[in-house]
Amino acid sequence: MASSEMKERRTEGPSSALWIAKPLATAARQFLKSLVRPSTIVYPFERLEDPQFRDRVRVASGEPIGIGRVWDNYRGVHALNIATCISCNLCAFSCPDLCIDMVTVPGGDPKHPKKCPQIDYGKCSYCGFCSDACPEGCLTMTTRYELATSKRSEMVFSPQQLYEVFERKLPMNPIRLERPENEDAILLEGPLCIGCNACARDCPTQCITMLDIPKPTAKPGERLPKRIWKEPVINDSDCVRCGTCISVCPKECLFWGTHP
Amino acid sequence: MAVQSLYGVASLLASALFGAFAPAWLVVLVADAIFGAILLAASMLNTILLIWYERKLLGRFMDRRGAMHVGYAGLLQNFADGLKLFRKNTYPPREADVLGFYSGPTAYLVSSLVIFGVLPISTGWDNGSLPLSLLLALVIFSFAPLFIFVSAWSSNNKYSLMGGMRSAAQMIAYEVPILIAVVAVIVLSGSFDLTTIVAEQRNYWFWAPLFLALVVFVAGMLAEMERIPFDLPEAEAELVEGWNTEYGGMLFAFFMLADYLRALIGSILIVLLFLGGWTLPSYVPSALTNFPLAGIVWFMVKTYLVFGLFVWVRASLPRVRTDQLLRVGWMRMVPLSLLSVFLAALVVVSRCLPVIGCVPGMGR
Repeated sequence: MASSEMKERRTEGPSSALWIAKPLATAARQFLKSLVRPSTIVYPFERLEDPQFRDRVRVASGEPIGIGRVWDNYRGVHALNIATCISCNLCAFSCPDLCIDMVTVPGGDPKHPKKCPQIDYGKCSYCGFCSDACPEGCLTMTTRYELATSKRSEMVFSPQQLYEVFERKLPMNPIRLERPENEDAILLEGPLCIGCNACARDCPTQCITMLDIPKPTAKPGERLPKRIWKEPVINDSDCVRCGTCISVCPKECLFWGTHP
Repeated sequence: MAVQSLYGVASLLASALFGAFAPAWLVVLVADAIFGAILLAASMLNTILLIWYERKLLGRFMDRRGAMHVGYAGLLQNFADGLKLFRKNTYPPREADVLGFYSGPTAYLVSSLVIFGVLPISTGWDNGSLPLSLLLALVIFSFAPLFIFVSAWSSNNKYSLMGGMRSAAQMIAYEVPILIAVVAVIVLSGSFDLTTIVAEQRNYWFWAPLFLALVVFVAGMLAEMERIPFDLPEAEAELVEGWNTEYGGMLFAFFMLADYLRALIGSILIVLLFLGGWTLPSYVPSALTNFPLAGIVWFMVKTYLVFGLFVWVRASLPRVRTDQLLRVGWMRMVPLSLLSVFLAALVVVSRCLPVIGCVPGMGR
């Protein structure tokens, strides 16, 4: 008799009967457990966030899903409060997928139209950076996750649609990462400034005021630059670091820096 | 007047339809046709219900729900699947032998259907009670490997051929212990007639003295039906779909239906031979047995419970290897079945049961 056959012989006997009985017992136990109700959540008719599942269904760490628990951390469709949006563009800046466009919404004055984010969910990766960047807390992420559409174009949510999400008062995920106190500030390189008021005009938070500066007396032979003798002063506590002033400055005299 | 048999139902219908104006021989012919149609419809309906039953049970074993959207609790899902398969085309492979390709599954299905003609389901509902009905049922049951092998070979596909070879080897290996286990039943009951075998179980069901034979018969039937854990001929991971790889549409549905027909027949045979058929033990309150068609109802309940056992085994055990399968078949099952024949003979001679003790009127 070949040795391999001898080896196989050893696995038979009483232990091989157990080999059959054990899985049968396991299957029977499972059958009795799921006879009344299997673990399946019949999705379109039942949802994980339904009250009866909140304490029963647990995530891998053992936390139950539910309000005030893991479920709060969900990053779904955004909610946009158009009323408090300051059109600072920070959400679009921070978006890694470039899925946010700032589009005009009614309500601004004709010279400087109000612009709010429009989000293309075909591209969005739900990272939450925009919500984190939003200085006014008006762009947040909600628990809504159903986005099936029949057209790709329907996946682009206009600010008005995002506002509708906001109005449904879904549980929101207030994503705010800790930031250093004295982050980047906007600094002025004085000699280049021409006092044109563009920065103060476009600042979404009205934190820039143009203060008069003394007009220097010209030395003999020296030509004073043609300018308005004013300079922007930025109120750091109100500034949201959106960078709008930097981008509108015609002389590029504003720049990112840190206070000395 | 209560109708006492399936043929009685058929002849009643035939005489109601044609009795007034047709000659007597035509009425008999129509009664035969109606009898066959009822039998076909009943067996097909049961087969489709059996598929539904398996899907639901298997779902519960796997902690999920089976079919649930079409009809109440998914009852109509398999009818929808059947309709879909019925509308589909079947494309035989270019190199296939068309005659064998088409006749194989057809003969497989028909040979499985024929067995229903000899299976009694209740007192009187035995379609004429042939004296050798058990033998006839088993003989037709063992035609299957031939038809499977014909359809596998004529597909001209290596996977089909391998599946057919495995199927033939497996079915022949397990035919032997099954037949010997049946011999034990025949020794105990003294008859080849299924109706008599059930009648002989009025004092005790045969599974008690013949538990060994029951185990052998159940394992052998699992192999004959090619259900998990003995589904080597269809081993999906190795052989695509086994011997029905090349089949689609209605021919595939033929295979599917015949597989479940054979599962139904296997369950019915186990109920008839070992579990007392349509009878219930005498200590059961008579309210449970004294309603019309009680025999058929209890027979169906037992059959479905036995099939539930097959589903349980399917949900639990992994597929065995070919060599394990054949070794268990020839080296374990055959001696066990011979031992059970010996035990049956012992019961007949000593007129005593192993556990229950000696009962007057036991054996023959």
